[in-house]
Amino acid sequence: MHIANEYLLIFYILFWAVRIRGCVRRGRQPLLRGHEWFFNVHVQPDFYTGAGKKILHRYWLRMLIPFVLDVPITASIFIPEYLQYAAWLLIVQAIWIHINHVYSVAKAEREARPIAVPEAEQPVGSMVLSLTPRRLRDYTNPYAEWALALANIVALALLFRYYFADPQHQNWRVVFAVPAFYLYLQVGMLFVKRVVLAWRAPVPQAQAAEHMEAREETRKYYLKMCDWNRALSAAGMVFWSVVIRISPAELDRVWRIWLAAWLVITVVGTVLVEIKRKQLITVALRARPVKMPDFLHESEIARWPVCYQPSAPMLILKGARGYSLNLANTLAHLGAAYLAGMVVLIFFLRMGR
Amino acid sequence: MFLTIDTDDPRPIYQQVADGIKELIARGKLAEGALLPPVRQLAADLGVNLNTIASAYRQLQEDGLIVIKHGSGSAVASRTTTERTRDELLRPLRTALTELVLAGLSSAKILSMVLRELRVVAKGSK
Repeated sequence: MHIANEYLLIFYILFWAVRIRGCVRRGRQPLLRGHEWFFNVHVQPDFYTGAGKKILHRYWLRMLIPFVLDVPITASIFIPEYLQYAAWLLIVQAIWIHINHVYSVAKAEREARPIAVPEAEQPVGSMVLSLTPRRLRDYTNPYAEWALALANIVALALLFRYYFADPQHQNWRVVFAVPAFYLYLQVGMLFVKRVVLAWRAPVPQAQAAEHMEAREETRKYYLKMCDWNRALSAAGMVFWSVVIRISPAELDRVWRIWLAAWLVITVVGTVLVEIKRKQLITVALRARPVKMPDFLHESEIARWPVCYQPSAPMLILKGARGYSLNLANTLAHLGAAYLAGMVVLIFFLRMGR
Repeated sequence: MFLTIDTDDPRPIYQQVADGIKELIARGKLAEGALLPPVRQLAADLGVNLNTIASAYRQLQEDGLIVIKHGSGSAVASRTTTERTRDELLRPLRTALTELVLAGLSSAKILSMVLRELRVVAKGSK
């Protein structure tokens, strides 16, 4: 088995371990606020012994769907040793798990609302708005940005030098495919940062400081995650610019060092993320959930799963049947353009293989 | 810096936003040159139509309280840039005083109320 495949297998096993932990964490989520709450819905005292029991069980079962689907896909990849697809499987599963979770939470909350405490389902009378502009530069570390830019420039300079040293014998697609992909990923992370920044943050007047802190901490956490991913992509570019010029004899050793470093980063990163998540939960639990007023009548205008509402400034609207993507929003256009660009890039880069 | 929006308030939301920003400017909490959030951000946070916030900003601009620069956002205007006449400035005061007189309050009571409110409003201003 090739060294990269060995590590892919290790990553996959690690991914499963993290997933089991994540599944347990998500399973406990409905009860985090105690037995009077089901997620953010204030429920009747007999909820968990009555109708709520079924809703909770259904939520738990939905959390297991990715595991069930994973078994045949994993078997079809690992048994015939098509391990090159394992990395894609990890990415697709990570996205799928999150989408499944968000959808399941929204569905479970929607099912619980009809049997919630009626007073708690009344929207709050007054809300608070922050007049501080949320700009990307306020959440940006200039030193980190310079370091990232420098890493990208150095990697590209090394690759151009390598290519132009003997352009007759180099396939430019082989030389530049990996950095082009990594650069595109970094652009994608910048786009995600914009989405996180634009994320709606309505705050009730009661406990405004607690709600504001919870939203701000969550926002910072996601923005930091994006920066970490950008840093890893930049590191990937630098590694590629080094590995492409290495002699075949040394290649194996360098790959081992690189993959071992990735493994360490993944383990340490996972532990740090878990710690941060616990801190975020502590902050979020201080703020009592409330229902915000629906000025736009989102439940009526937002069809599931997509809608077109130019007058609504939000990317995601909360419709009667769940979240709805507002196709009239600029971020939706940018996201669609980005995904289309990704498909074109992959197609273009694979053409030269 | 926070703005409070009350669903029980009879004023429309755009008016509440405009009045709230005016009050913060009068109290000096929003200083001259201070940047205001973009219309899109405020509208998204509140969950209202973009035009609602745009109307509030337009009103503030007409009152000479903010400057809207396309591309770089809105900022609190310099106090000296207000071009409103004395009559224009007196009109809202006259309306408010009429309301108080019609409510049956005596002149002395109204005067004490006005002075108290003026002290609150002028506390943070220059």
